[in-house]
Amino acid sequence: MTTTTAATATAVSLRGVTKVYGKGAAAVRAVDAVDLDLPRGGWTAVMGPSGSGKSTLLHLAAGLEHADAGRVLIGGTDITDAGDRELTDLRRTRIGFVFQSFNLIGSLTAEQNVALPLRLGGRRPSRSEVREVLASVGLGDRVKHRPREMSGGQQQRVALARAIVTRPEVLFADEPTGALDSAAARTVLDLLRAMADAGQSIVMVTHDPGAAARADAVVFLRDGRVVDHLTGADAPSKHPTATQNGLKADTIADRLAAWER
Amino acid sequence: MFRISRAGLAERWTLFAGAALSVCLGVALVQSSLLLIISAATLDPPPGLPAAERLRFAENADASVAMLGVLLGTATFLAVFIISSTFGFTVAQRRRDLALLRLVGGSRGQLRRLLLGEAVLLGGAGAALGVPAGLGVMAVQSWLMRTMGFVPDGFRGQWRTWILGVSLGTGIVLAVAGVLLAARRASRVRPLEALRDSGEAARVMTAGRWVVGLIFLAGTIAMVIVAPHGGPAGGQAISLNVPMCAAAAVAAFGPLLVPAVARLVPTGAGGPLGMLARANLRDGRRRSASVAAPVIVLVGLVLGQAGAAMSFTTAGIEEQHRALTADLVVESTGPIGSKVTAVPGVASASTEIQLPARIAYGAGESAETENGDALAVDPAAYAAAHPGSETLRNLTGRAIMVGPGGDIPSEGTVRVELPETTLGDLRVAGAVPATLAGGATVLVPAGLVPPDQLTSAPSRAFVRLAPGVPAAEVAAALSHVGQVSDVDAWLTADAEARASTNNKIMVVVLGLGALYALIGTVNSVVIGAAARRREFAEARVTGLSRRQVVRAALAESTAVTVAGVILGFVAAGAAYVAVLGTTSAVTGAGTLQVPWGLAGAVVAAILVVTGTTSVVTSWSATRERPVVLLGARE
Repeated sequence: MTTTTAATATAVSLRGVTKVYGKGAAAVRAVDAVDLDLPRGGWTAVMGPSGSGKSTLLHLAAGLEHADAGRVLIGGTDITDAGDRELTDLRRTRIGFVFQSFNLIGSLTAEQNVALPLRLGGRRPSRSEVREVLASVGLGDRVKHRPREMSGGQQQRVALARAIVTRPEVLFADEPTGALDSAAARTVLDLLRAMADAGQSIVMVTHDPGAAARADAVVFLRDGRVVDHLTGADAPSKHPTATQNGLKADTIADRLAAWER
Repeated sequence: MFRISRAGLAERWTLFAGAALSVCLGVALVQSSLLLIISAATLDPPPGLPAAERLRFAENADASVAMLGVLLGTATFLAVFIISSTFGFTVAQRRRDLALLRLVGGSRGQLRRLLLGEAVLLGGAGAALGVPAGLGVMAVQSWLMRTMGFVPDGFRGQWRTWILGVSLGTGIVLAVAGVLLAARRASRVRPLEALRDSGEAARVMTAGRWVVGLIFLAGTIAMVIVAPHGGPAGGQAISLNVPMCAAAAVAAFGPLLVPAVARLVPTGAGGPLGMLARANLRDGRRRSASVAAPVIVLVGLVLGQAGAAMSFTTAGIEEQHRALTADLVVESTGPIGSKVTAVPGVASASTEIQLPARIAYGAGESAETENGDALAVDPAAYAAAHPGSETLRNLTGRAIMVGPGGDIPSEGTVRVELPETTLGDLRVAGAVPATLAGGATVLVPAGLVPPDQLTSAPSRAFVRLAPGVPAAEVAAALSHVGQVSDVDAWLTADAEARASTNNKIMVVVLGLGALYALIGTVNSVVIGAAARRREFAEARVTGLSRRQVVRAALAESTAVTVAGVILGFVAAGAAYVAVLGTTSAVTGAGTLQVPWGLAGAVVAAILVVTGTTSVVTSWSATRERPVVLLGARE
C-alpha cells in the first residue's frame, strides 16, 4: 500500500474522522478514524462493498454530516465545527454535488436549475454564462426543457452543469452513473474526465470498477476504514488495455473482489 | 427566489390551490360576518314606526348584533385554524424540495423568505378571490337571517370600501402566521434529507405543537372550571366557547392522538390491506394529524355548541317549571288581573304585562343604556307565583327590582323609558334570581306605570286554583279573558319556540362554518394524496392491484376520519362538562342533552365526503403506470 502524498496542495483532508450511528450495542462505526488526503486537481474514486461507509465518508468530506471525532479540511479551511451559515456559504461557492438520483428541481427548466446556485448566492448570471456551462456538458439545445422532458443521462448532465457553474474547488459525486445506461454513463464519465484534466478536483463514490478506472486514483474502504489505495503508478505501464491514466478496470475489480471476500 | 416561488406554484398546484382555497373561504366568511355586524349595528328603524315597535326594533337589533358577534368569532377562529393548519401541512409536504434547495446553496434565511413570500402571494390571491366570494356568503347569510326572522325584511349587508383592506390584510396575515412556525422549522431541514426518500420529518410532535396544545388545554380546563361561577349569562357564554378551545388543544396533540386512536378503529379491510393501512397510519403521522384536524374542529364545534345550546334550553324549561307555582296561564292584552281574579275558583293570579323599555343607569363616563323588557307586575302576586323572588314583597314606593334576565346593577337608581313616556328615576331595591332562560330586565310595580301604557301591551296571568275546583271549569270561564293553557302545555310550547330559535341561530352561525371546515378536510385529503404517487407506485410494483391500493388508502382515510370524529367528541365533551357545571350551579340540577340526531348526520356527512375524496384522489394518483413514476425521480 502506498502512502498518501504530502499535502502541499490537497483539496480535501480528513484527519482521524469518525462517524458512529446508533448507540450502545447497536452502534455502528460507519467511518472509523480515517486519515485521507485527496489531491487538488485530481480525480479520486472511493470504492468499497455495500455498507463500507463510502457514502458517509463523502457526506463528511462535503460537510453534509458532522464528524463525531477528527477534523475535516477543505482546501485548508477547517469545516469540522463550521456553523450552518459557513456550510451554506461553502456549498454555494466552494463545492458542488452530483448524486445518483439527479435531484433537479422538477418545476425549473435546465437553464433555471443550473443558474440556481448562483442566484442563491445573490448573483444574477447572464444568460450566456449559464448556456455556456450547459453547452459544455453537451446540452446547449436543451436549455428550456424541464427535467421530466429529458432522459436520465441528460438530467445527470444538467446536474453536472449545476454543480460546476460556481467553479467549485471540489466536485463531490455519489454514484453519478448508478442510475444510467452504459452509453449515458460513458458520456458523464467522459465529461468528468475532461473536467479533471482541466484541473477540477473530483471525489467520486462508486461501486463500478469501470467508472473508477477513469479516475486518477482509487481508495478502497471496508468497515469504515481505508484498506487500500491504487494510483496510476501501480498499474502495469503501457499495458494494452490500460486507460490513459494507467488504471485498469480489471485490476480494480480484482482488488474490490478481494476486499469483498 | 421569486422565480422559484412562481415556478413552484405552477408545479405543486394542488398543494397551493388547496392553501389558496382555504384563505379564500376563510376571508369570505370573516368579511361577511364583519359587514353584517356593522350593517346590523347601524340599522335604523324604518320611518313612521310606532314608538313601541321602535323600541322593540332596537332590542331585536341588539340581539342580532350579539348573534353576529358570535358568528364573527366562530368565523375568525375557523379561518385561523383551517388556514394555519393547511399552510403548515403544505410546507411539511415539501420537505424534500426544500432540502434540495439547501443542498445547492440555499441558506436558512432564503428558505424562510421563500416560504413567507409564497404565503404572501397565496394569502393575497386567496383574499382577492375571497372578497367577491364574501359577497356571495353575505347574501346567503343575510337571506338566512331574514327568512328566520332575526332581522327585518329590508335588511341587506352593506358594502364598505375599507373592507377591501381588512380582507386583504386578513388573508395575508393569516397565511403568513400559518407558515411562520412551519417555515422556521422547515428552514432547519438538513440538506442530506434531499437524498433520502422519507418526505416526512422524524419528529412531528414539535415543541411548538406542545406549547400551543398545552396553552389551549390549560384554557379549556380554566373555562370548564370558571363556567359554573359565571352566572347564567356568563356560564352560557363560556360554555359555548369551550368547544373551540378544546378542539384546538386536541388538534395540536393530533400527531400523538390521531394514530393512537385510529389504530383502534377496525379498518374493515382485513388481511394485508388492513395491515398496510395501519402501517401507513403510523408512518404518516403528520398527514393523519392534518387530515383529522378539521374533522376534530368540525365535530367539536358543531356538536359542542349545539349540545350546549340544547342543554341550556332544556335546563331553562326545567328551571321555569320549578320556579312557577301556577295551574293555568292566561294570555291576553292589557291589565286583566281583576277580570281573572273575579272568576270563581281562582285562588290567586299574577298578572304580568310586558313593555318594551330602554333602561339607563350610571352617570357620566359609565352611563349605559340597555334595551329590554319592563314587566309590570303586582309585587305580592308575583312573589307568590314565582318561588325564590319573595324579596319582591318588600317593594314599596318608587322602586323596582332587577328581573330574571336583567344584566344591570341591583342597587342605585335607573331611568326607565317606555315607548311614549318615561317613568323617571327609580330606585333599584334588589334583584330576583337570574335564570338561564332569561326574561324581563326590570320588574316594575304596575302602579308606577301610567294606565294608558298598559292597555294595549301583551299580558300573561299565572293562575292558581282554589283547592278542589275542577281546572276545566275555571279554564272555560277564563277563556272569555284570554287564551288559556295548562301550565305544562304552555311551558312546552314556550320551550319549542325557544328551541326553534336556537336551532335557527345554530344554522346561521355554524352552517357555513361547518361547510368551511368540511372543505378544509377535503383539502387536507387532497394535499395528503398528492405527495403519495410514488408510495402508491411502490405498493403496486409490490403486487397490489390499483383497486387494492385505492382500497387501502380508503381504509386508512376512514380510520383517520373516525379518529378525528372520536377526538371531536372529546372536545365536545369538554363543553358538556362545562354545561353540566353551569346548569347545576344555576338551576341546582345538572342538565345535558346530546344532539344525537345531528351527531349522526354530521358523522355520516364527514365519512361520505372524506371517503369519496380519498377514492377520487388515490384513483387519479394511480393513473400513471407505476414504472413510469418509479423511474423518473423528478
